[in-house]
Amino acid sequence: MGANVSQLERDIGADQFPPNEHFFGLVNFGNTCYSNSVLQALYFCKPFREKILEYKARNKRTKETLLTCLADLFYSIATQKKKVGSIAPKKFIARLRKEKVEFDNYMQQDAHEFLNFLINHINEIILAERPQNANSRHKSGSGDSVSSQSEPTWVHEIFQGILTSETRCLNCEAVSCKDEDFFDLQVDIDQNTSITHCLKCFSSTETLCGDNKFKCDNCVSYQEAQKRMRVKRLPMILALHLKRFKYMEQYNRHIKVSHRVVFPLELRLFNTSDDAVNPDRLYDLVAVVIHCGSGPNRGHYISIVKSHGFWLLFDDDMVDKIDSSAIEDFYGLTSDIQKSSETGYILFYQSRDIAP
Amino acid sequence: MMTHKTSGSSGKKKVQVSYVIREETEPRHRSGVNSLQYSPTLQRLYSAGRDGIIRVWTPSNTKEPLVLTMEHHTDWVNDIVLCCSGRNLISASSDTTVKVWNAHKGFCMSTLRTHKDYVKALAYAKDREQVASAGLDRAIFLWDINTLTALTASNNVVTTSSVSGNKDSIYSLAMNPSGTVIVSGSTEKVLRVWDPRTCSKLMKLKGHKDNVKALAVNRDGTQCLSGSSDGTMKLWSLGQQRCMQTFHIHDEGVWALLVNDAFTHVLSGGRDRKIFMTDLRNPDRRVLVCEETEPILKMISTPDQTGIWVATSASSIKQWSLPKLPTLSENSHPADYDEAPKPFNSKPDVTIKGGAAIRQFNILNDKRHIVTKDTENNVAVYDVLKATKVEDLGPVDYEEEIKKRHKMTYVPNWFNIDLKTGMLTIHLGQDENDCFSAWVSTKEAGLSPSEAADQKVNYGNLVLQALLEHWWRPLANDEEGDGQGDPPNSVSNTHTRGGNEYFSVSGHTPVILSEVGGRTLYRLLARDAGGETEGVLLNETVPSWVVDIVMEKTLPVFIKIPFYLLPHGSSGMRTKKDRLIANDFIQVRKVAEHVLEKVLGAGSESGSVAAGPANADKEADDAQDSNSLPEEKVELLCNDVMLEPNMDLRTVRHFIWKSSSDLVLHYRPVK
Repeated sequence: MGANVSQLERDIGADQFPPNEHFFGLVNFGNTCYSNSVLQALYFCKPFREKILEYKARNKRTKETLLTCLADLFYSIATQKKKVGSIAPKKFIARLRKEKVEFDNYMQQDAHEFLNFLINHINEIILAERPQNANSRHKSGSGDSVSSQSEPTWVHEIFQGILTSETRCLNCEAVSCKDEDFFDLQVDIDQNTSITHCLKCFSSTETLCGDNKFKCDNCVSYQEAQKRMRVKRLPMILALHLKRFKYMEQYNRHIKVSHRVVFPLELRLFNTSDDAVNPDRLYDLVAVVIHCGSGPNRGHYISIVKSHGFWLLFDDDMVDKIDSSAIEDFYGLTSDIQKSSETGYILFYQSRDIAP
Repeated sequence: MMTHKTSGSSGKKKVQVSYVIREETEPRHRSGVNSLQYSPTLQRLYSAGRDGIIRVWTPSNTKEPLVLTMEHHTDWVNDIVLCCSGRNLISASSDTTVKVWNAHKGFCMSTLRTHKDYVKALAYAKDREQVASAGLDRAIFLWDINTLTALTASNNVVTTSSVSGNKDSIYSLAMNPSGTVIVSGSTEKVLRVWDPRTCSKLMKLKGHKDNVKALAVNRDGTQCLSGSSDGTMKLWSLGQQRCMQTFHIHDEGVWALLVNDAFTHVLSGGRDRKIFMTDLRNPDRRVLVCEETEPILKMISTPDQTGIWVATSASSIKQWSLPKLPTLSENSHPADYDEAPKPFNSKPDVTIKGGAAIRQFNILNDKRHIVTKDTENNVAVYDVLKATKVEDLGPVDYEEEIKKRHKMTYVPNWFNIDLKTGMLTIHLGQDENDCFSAWVSTKEAGLSPSEAADQKVNYGNLVLQALLEHWWRPLANDEEGDGQGDPPNSVSNTHTRGGNEYFSVSGHTPVILSEVGGRTLYRLLARDAGGETEGVLLNETVPSWVVDIVMEKTLPVFIKIPFYLLPHGSSGMRTKKDRLIANDFIQVRKVAEHVLEKVLGAGSESGSVAAGPANADKEADDAQDSNSLPEEKVELLCNDVMLEPNMDLRTVRHFIWKSSSDLVLHYRPVK
């Protein structure tokens, strides 16, 4: 391992090595690569790392939560004397297994499920730790904690965007809109396409008909309607989950879809609503969680991240510098014959104008 | 010989019973009017209402224009055509049926159930007496009217030809009088054209950017005009299979077209509420005929061609004058574009006034009375149980009236409501809201005559019995020995009948049997259920769960509430926590009785409570009134709130416990 470490430093070059940056692999505790890959991606989402370290600095040893464990882990990476090496996220994994029974085993887990759980869980912890004095004044009223709950947390500020679903009744042709928050977009994928194409399909029009008609307030009855989802507020960090695990009835299980989907280094969204707040945001790819293998419950997760202008591949405790041209290898396969593949699964895009 | 139909129906959708609360005669349309027809021979106007009723008018009689109503549809009537020189009317409805009517007398001759979704449009080829129907199921059926009108109850097999190929829901349809072409418009955004004589595909015309909602074909079937939700009209040459011209006249979707015989001028209307008359050869020559108050759904011309009847999504039908064709002036003065054009008419020549549609409702806590508000802001109160309006309050504050009637009582939901026809339609089913979930005491519901003993009755049970009161049904012999649930004075004749001992509903109340969330199976008036043919149809359609209640008089099961009964902390007593079960309408007083007799009364407290779970219900229910009131000796609390003795358990759970976990009650002796 020592040889590998020094190899990385040699690859980067001592004079090129970014100051105050650490590239540490994470030890696998038996199929915990789903967590390792996501944690590395999040560590290199700069706004997220900064907030976690800020949290660490502010919170002097209180009750242990998944958030304090994550903060300790990030802090420990960020304060290593060595620039490269590996670290064992022992406490974090132990806490994770305590928090959610689904993760309390040695089986392979879905990295997206883990990401989703982690972000929501951290957000809940922050909300729960909000100073109570702010709303104790309102305690006498009936809607006590509503005001503090609605204030966005820094997790919201980083990951949360707004989707708006526009529904047009085909009878009266009135359009009604409904907003919903999201932490990531889950997109269906097609063979030999790009992420832009998949996002376009994500926002394509769906017709509500048959037994699934729309109850139109204007017509006071069920009518056919056309519905589409568009992005109304673009998040600071856009997490895109490619739906690569499809349930296939004929096999009675989830099958991996290895379709080739190109993801560009720079991304602009075109499926924004007419009243979008910031439709022109330009995104840079900063991290990709990659699934290697043939199915959701087998195989391996690794991640690639961009740091100070070059790309690194994190495979549990191993870290390698890779050429940006190697990213192509993770787009997917053009033929459906091969079952096993190394494919981009969760993409993290960071807005170039970091101020929201 | 009775055979039980229930076993075979497992694959079918569940059947629900619905009824409409309305006046015996509904002389005005309650909601929008989707289509119009005019019969020159009888000088009658036919209008197809969203209230499910087709009304027939003599517009010349301005005082009382209504001649008759044709009532058999259970949902919006979307389109109508008069055929056979005005003798018959064909109607298409969102209840998925097409009906054939005697247009003179107004009775329904037959019902065609071939469509599987809303039937949206009809087209008529006069020379061949052929009608086509199309709808959201993407199907187009062709009907020979002479066959349809010859249908009888025994000879009711009808063959139809269909044209296929549509990939999306059809919203518009047109045929030429000789029936050589049929054109359909759909959400596919293309026009599809067939030859109805051979059912062969002729062409597909692309160009519109949205749904095609209105179509017209010229006499010889060589040209077609289409109106689309994309806001344009297009003139097509069917011979050349291409769009010859696009007209940008409206600000929003074009929903209705009326073209003259020569196919030189078109009247168009739609979502922007404006009606334009346009010279197809020179679209700059056009006139704004009028501005309606609601989007335009249908236009037909008056017999002398000098005016048009207009139907909109409001309930009134208006007649407007048309400018003479030569007066169409070229819209060439630039100044005209700056200011909005003045309409040719400022007000209609004739108005057939429509009525108000109910648009909002609030179910009061007693789950029996409903406060409604209609399109004219009138507020009214209805009694769902007796299927009748109780009070007209006029244009008062709706929210205030609801607040005024708020009672601290909780009764479970037992019906669903919809307002699609502008009237209250009540649905009774066994799905999300089980119609047998509401048990109430006759005293509280004001059903028991004066001092009669208080009894528990079930709302859904009572109303079903009342709706089917006149339905007579032979009793099968093999059911004789099965006396379960029979009333004490069980009559032993060969018929049994419905009805309940408390009230009847008005005979004019429409009763509808339909698949849950789907197609109508049968509609009849409550008073007609005694008829022979009606009886046969009821036997076929009434689901077994209703038969059990109405015919077999089986009582629905009581709804139980589990709860814990513990001594209050302040009483200093200790006992283990036992789970009890009681009917949800049990009053706190009865629980107090139970506490007195079983918990405090009997010396060994732990032993008696242990016997609780099985017996509490019965004991609490049957306990006799003693001389001293139990609430004078024991008080009960929930969440530290003192409970009123006459409050029932479900009300305590809903208003005081406010949680889905098991109810916990505390007791303490009164000092």
